[in-house]
Amino acid sequence: MTIRFFASLREEIGIEREELELEKGSAITDLLVALKRTHPVLLGNENFLIAVNGVRSKVDQRLGEGDIVALLPPVSGG
Amino acid sequence: MIKVTREDFSVEEVIQSLRRKEVGGIVTFIGTVRGESQGRPVEHMEIEAYEEMALHDLEEIRRRALEKFRVEDAAIVHRVGTLKVSENIVLIAVAAAHREEAFDACRFILEEVKRLVPIWKKEYTLGGRSTWVRDEPTSVS
Repeated sequence: MTIRFFASLREEIGIEREELELEKGSAITDLLVALKRTHPVLLGNENFLIAVNGVRSKVDQRLGEGDIVALLPPVSGG
Repeated sequence: MIKVTREDFSVEEVIQSLRRKEVGGIVTFIGTVRGESQGRPVEHMEIEAYEEMALHDLEEIRRRALEKFRVEDAAIVHRVGTLKVSENIVLIAVAAAHREEAFDACRFILEEVKRLVPIWKKEYTLGGRSTWVRDEPTSVS
């Protein structure tokens, strides 16, 4: 799956996107554990939403191969 | 009309797209880059979007506004990229038979855009300091 980082998270992590493989049946919570391991800057940061394929998702949602998961810090458009 | 664009938009063109015989008024809101932020002069602004999702969200907000209010049509145009002070950021235009519904729908759309759409503004103040604009706190659901 593809992980995309935006705005302040993109800057803090230092990349716009990365490819990641998780075990079949993994949920967003599992992804977050993996991301916090590789990007310690995410530790203690709960101030973002998750979108899977452009749809805001809860952390227990299962992920599939080919999903695009975006980490969205607080928005400020308009 | 729903658009996320790097180029500046023509307010007149958007308004023209909403004109029709049922319409008695068109309310517009134009957001522009303010030259001051927390007491510091702003030099320019960078706007970033998750464009695919932003377009989808803007469409959905427009659809909800048309459903909720008695309005004929609505347009939302939001810019991304590097913007100088006083440049246009966003245009919301709502056409309705009567003014009350047009004003209400325009306000509704603006607040929903600010609350939901994955667009981020970063202000660069004179002296090289930069800050991500924070409007509303959100958290992992």
